[in-house]
Amino acid sequence: MKTILPLRVNGETHELAVHQHWSLLEALRYELGLTGSKQGCDKGDCGACTVLRDGEPVLACCTLAATCEGSEITTIEGVADKDGPHPIQRAFDVCGALQCGFCQPGMILSAKALLDRCPQPSDEQLREALGGNLCRCTGYTKIFEAVRLAAKGLDRQSPVRYGEPAEGFLVLGARGRKADSIQKATGEAIYTDDITLPRMAHGKILRSPHAHARIRAIRTERAEALPGVYAVLVGSELPTPYCVIPWTPDETALAIDKVRYIGDAVAAVAAVDEDTAIKALALIEVDYEVLPAAVEPEDALKDGAPLIHETDWKGRPRQDNVCKEVALDFGDVDANLAASAAVVSGEWFYEGSTHAPIEPHCALATFNPDGQLTLWSATQVPHYLHRELSRVLGLPTSKIRVIQPVLGGAFGGKSEPFDLEFCAAALSRKANRPVKILYTREEVFYSHRGRHPMLMKMTLGADADGALKAVDSDVLIDGGAYHSFGMVTTYYAGQLLTGPVDMASYRFKSKRVYTNKPCCGPKRGHGSVQPRFAFECGLDELAEKLKLDPIQIRRKNALQSGQRTVNGQLVPSTGLNACLDAVERSSGWKERHGKLPYGRGLGVACSMYISGTAYPIYPNEMPQSAVQVKADRSGRLTVFCGASDIGQGSDGMLAYILAEETGILPDDIVVVSSDTDLTPVDLGAYSSRVTFMCGTAAQEAGRKLRQKLIGGVAGAWKLPEERVGVALGFLYDKDEPGRQISSKDAIWLAEAAYGPLGEVGAYRTRKLGGDYRGGSIGASPAYSTTAHVAEVSVDPETGQVTVEKVWAAHDCGRALNPQLVEGQIEGSVYMGLAEAIMEAHTFREGGLHLGPNLLDYRIPTSVETPDILTHIIETIDPGGPYGAKEAGEGPLHPIIPAIANAIFDAVGVRLRRIPFTPARVLAAIGQAEAARLASK
Amino acid sequence: MLRMPEFQVHRARSAQEAVELWHGHGGAEGRGKDAVWSAMYLAGGTDLLPNIKHRLFTPKHLISLALPRPEIVDEGDSLRIDAGVKLQTLADHPLIQAVLPPLAVAAGKVAGPQIRHMGTIGGNVLLDTRCLFYNQTESWRQALGYCLKKEGTWCHVVGGPKTCVAAQSSDCVPVLLALDARLRLVGLGGEREVSLRELYRYNGFDHLTLTPGELLTELRVPKPAAGFRGHYHKLRTRGSIDFPELSVAVTGAWEGDAPQALEIVIGAINPQPKPVRGLDEWLGRPLTDEGIDAIAALVHKQTRPQGSIIGDPDWRRAMAGVFTRRALQELRAASA
Ligand SMILES: Cc1cc2nc3c(=O)[nH]c(=O)nc-3n(C[C@H](O)[C@H](O)[C@H](O)COP(=O)(O)OP(=O)(O)OC[C@H]3O[C@@H](n4cnc5c(N)ncnc54)[C@H](O)[C@@H]3O)c2cc1C
Ligand code: SF4
Ligand code: FES
Ligand code: FES
Repeated sequence: MKTILPLRVNGETHELAVHQHWSLLEALRYELGLTGSKQGCDKGDCGACTVLRDGEPVLACCTLAATCEGSEITTIEGVADKDGPHPIQRAFDVCGALQCGFCQPGMILSAKALLDRCPQPSDEQLREALGGNLCRCTGYTKIFEAVRLAAKGLDRQSPVRYGEPAEGFLVLGARGRKADSIQKATGEAIYTDDITLPRMAHGKILRSPHAHARIRAIRTERAEALPGVYAVLVGSELPTPYCVIPWTPDETALAIDKVRYIGDAVAAVAAVDEDTAIKALALIEVDYEVLPAAVEPEDALKDGAPLIHETDWKGRPRQDNVCKEVALDFGDVDANLAASAAVVSGEWFYEGSTHAPIEPHCALATFNPDGQLTLWSATQVPHYLHRELSRVLGLPTSKIRVIQPVLGGAFGGKSEPFDLEFCAAALSRKANRPVKILYTREEVFYSHRGRHPMLMKMTLGADADGALKAVDSDVLIDGGAYHSFGMVTTYYAGQLLTGPVDMASYRFKSKRVYTNKPCCGPKRGHGSVQPRFAFECGLDELAEKLKLDPIQIRRKNALQSGQRTVNGQLVPSTGLNACLDAVERSSGWKERHGKLPYGRGLGVACSMYISGTAYPIYPNEMPQSAVQVKADRSGRLTVFCGASDIGQGSDGMLAYILAEETGILPDDIVVVSSDTDLTPVDLGAYSSRVTFMCGTAAQEAGRKLRQKLIGGVAGAWKLPEERVGVALGFLYDKDEPGRQISSKDAIWLAEAAYGPLGEVGAYRTRKLGGDYRGGSIGASPAYSTTAHVAEVSVDPETGQVTVEKVWAAHDCGRALNPQLVEGQIEGSVYMGLAEAIMEAHTFREGGLHLGPNLLDYRIPTSVETPDILTHIIETIDPGGPYGAKEAGEGPLHPIIPAIANAIFDAVGVRLRRIPFTPARVLAAIGQAEAARLASK
Repeated sequence: MLRMPEFQVHRARSAQEAVELWHGHGGAEGRGKDAVWSAMYLAGGTDLLPNIKHRLFTPKHLISLALPRPEIVDEGDSLRIDAGVKLQTLADHPLIQAVLPPLAVAAGKVAGPQIRHMGTIGGNVLLDTRCLFYNQTESWRQALGYCLKKEGTWCHVVGGPKTCVAAQSSDCVPVLLALDARLRLVGLGGEREVSLRELYRYNGFDHLTLTPGELLTELRVPKPAAGFRGHYHKLRTRGSIDFPELSVAVTGAWEGDAPQALEIVIGAINPQPKPVRGLDEWLGRPLTDEGIDAIAALVHKQTRPQGSIIGDPDWRRAMAGVFTRRALQELRAASA
């Protein structure tokens, strides 16, 4: 029973009806509708729910509402006042501190508590004060900047300004805000779980406690009989298998006759509230026959190993647990190795890790009386979700609308359909009311689709002068229970290694194996981060053997713009040398590498990554991306695009490009994205394709519109069109620049001349890639390049590795908005260094996840995240919009080997297994010491 | 989201009222792993509420301790710290910083800022023991087959049916032990005072010698003798949020580079914080490098970390020696 609680929130007293067992967070979000306070981890580990209680930061998820009587609560919604957003909120907006924004309400409140108490905090105080607020997007760099700016004081009334654009541009190249950052900073942005519909039921999913078991029977009667339960769903009701890659469907929405990992979905319930749904789950009886499990890929490959999938996606019996195998070779590797002056050979292991976006997955489904489904979901691929929903629910796509609300981080972890989306829809259909399902943090870990653990045997050979002759790679990939993007992963693990360092010959074998664990998938830098680690460490060892400077060996082998890689991929532009130059200079490499005292070291590594892929997941001749724009008489422009802004800022990117082309101010451009009813298709936020592809589409649409604005003005002024110029906010006569007309008036003229103003643009992929089976996988219209130098200190007595500083140079083509590019680089470095030094997505022998929560699965806080200094390198790509390429994934790759190589520089040991935990580092130092003594 | 089971919240305005409410709402039956809690005390809730979310406890009543403003008071030869004092207050308090600096350091290293603004010193002392196989959701523990400390019969750490080695993981406790803090407890029958040294025992599923229902009202920490120096080191993966993987508290009185009294307590190793024995032989004379090494070796010998929390036990054990040595070097140098 609820009781009435008088609660002071944001200066007002509310009489709230709450359950005694409700947290303050539940009362705020669900009773008061103050959804600015976020739910990230369930239990005190993330800080997303931070509010101020009598001015002090506290966690609303671990505070009982019933104990708050008499306290003054301030939520993010109460930080702004009648004069507008608080200076801290403004500063976060101005500095580009908000990416997905999900951590930010909590972060801003912690920052406010700090500045209220200590107006001029030291660096250490700042890091410490934000230590309880995890951010997965920013690497904290821009957050520190924002708080410092707020401490310095900024005029909250002045309009947000953009920096200077690049030479010859109106907007592009200027540092500027992200499209929706002030909404995020004020708690107004609506994420999926912030949406509530009338009559909405809450869904919950029952999950398997066994890693591998046959389902003999499921009995749901008792659950159905529980008062408050609206519907119960089991797998046989949604029997159509699906997969993001349409020809490898091996998953069903709920398990039908087998469960394949601990956490696999078995049944779902919709009920009046979550508590009732949870009670109902406990009443579902599942009769399991437990089967032997294969948890490690080595076990799964053994003779007689239990078959995780008995049949393949065509229904043919399987003989083994191999999900996909690829072997390709280019050139005579054996001969080249034999002829090499130096050869390095080793075995590297890359541990699995997960995305851990601070926003848990959430989906909300409702049917209208005509049987039309609307599904809001925290997805980064609305289009693929749309297709798979249609397939699994047996509804035509015309009966389904998928909307992606503001997304609280994804990193690849939301790039395919998940059980909750199907279940919310099917339960909604069954219960005839809206159904929302929000994952617990534990479920986010089970859904996973994160970095594949890979065991890599690699051999590299080079000439005496360092020219790379041959690379031989053999990769065993631990896939988890399902296919996901598996075949792509298997190719990427080999195909993406052939630049920016060129090699004369290359051979790879990669094999993805099913195991009884949560399914792996695409995490930022899909498939290629792991082999890159092995390769870049190997290259460092080669340099050591050949007594070459590690930067020099990379320069020596740099692929040139316009060259083809050994596996036949055309690389239109590469900025490797410029990246290396930048980090060499700024890190003081020449003076310091190899010369620092024992315990301190510098390491370098580089990488190349795709900028979109030729391969559209399902074969079709239509554009990969499309944009529609409409200009209306208010002077505003609306851009429609299926692209998913997952925090990276693609909505802003669309606005800048349209502003560039039309002269309409970015703040007058509304972006409507990722709604399958309203927006033309874009395939989604993966493979670093959005800027390249949607950007090109936007450019085309913008150019057409620009031409009409010019035409309208030229007609009215009776001038040839060539004489009309476009500037920011107005058009003008080039010969008489004083003669101007506002963009808005130009829209009127153009509409008078041409009728309603609407244009479209599209991006189509050219045929790309090598001329062999699989040659198009990994083929991209453009490639970014990156080089990082990391400085570490290693405590030789404890083995603790501290990353002191990172210099990151990334060639993104043209930086359309450098502030956003820096944000992507900083976030990538952060995510990669976390994999290098602490994260591990690991399991017990039986396949039980070792700590599916944000306390046991540690992601770095503001305290130990190092300063990251970014250099943007612009090699203007001939194919990209204005020369732009990608920045979201490439910059993650080199940081892991750069840290490994820096550890070698510091203490002389080569670590071939991540993460570099202190115990491992100390053991390696001990072994090296023992070997040194023995050799004396 | 992870939900809490239903319960009633009762706000107690005085210690007496809290104790009465606790008993009035069914108190608890049994103790340790067999305890059935009808009522539980709730202070900051930062330990208890996550545990309730994990269904480690399912009390029907929470007695919320909303006692009059808790204080830190100089009582002449000791400091009185009310149980309800927040950890952040403890860390920032001028009296604590001046008189008991390592306690301020330890309190300032607990979790992250929000939790320090919520959690109390009382809750920190009475914090449940922690284990990788215990502080998990109900469904996870079900998949594990539960464990000895809760609903099961087997300890997954030691691999046996008898002993639970879940770790006492408070940051403040090692320092408070080294400082010989005393506790004031209030029960139905009246008050009593016990030494913190008598509070813990080596049994992870029943590590407190407290009688269920006894309320901790205050701590008394004797003021250290002249020449006091203290040090607290917390080993953790991240610079914030994390519980200790190992902690080393060193306190004592010094004359120049000669310790006159020395206490070393190692925490976050097993259910019972470990006061290191046999330090007397280094007292009253200058502490040499060899002496420091010998003490570090002694600490290493007496420290037996268990695998109940993260960090390789052998490595953590080695670290106990390393951080003791560093602490002693620092304290000795403080004479200069
Ligand atoms: C993410 C996270 C990280 C953490 N990290 C740390 C850390 O690094 N170091 C650390 O030491 N702790 C840590 N904690 C644990 C906890 O926050 C602290 O120990 C805190 O001091 C507990 O105090 P509390 O007031 O919140 O206790 P509560 O949760 O309210 O209570 C804890 C227990 O003590 C009992 N209790 C509380 N007060 C009394 C009393 N006066 N009399 C009798 N019984 C009482 C309660 O019934 C309960 O069983 C962490 C917690 C979280 C969620
Ligand atoms: S130490 Fe053993 S019995 Fe104790 S909580 Fe951990 S697994 Fe359970
Ligand atoms: S939701 Fe409260 S700390 Fe994560
Ligand atoms: S902006 Fe911090 S989690 Fe996304």
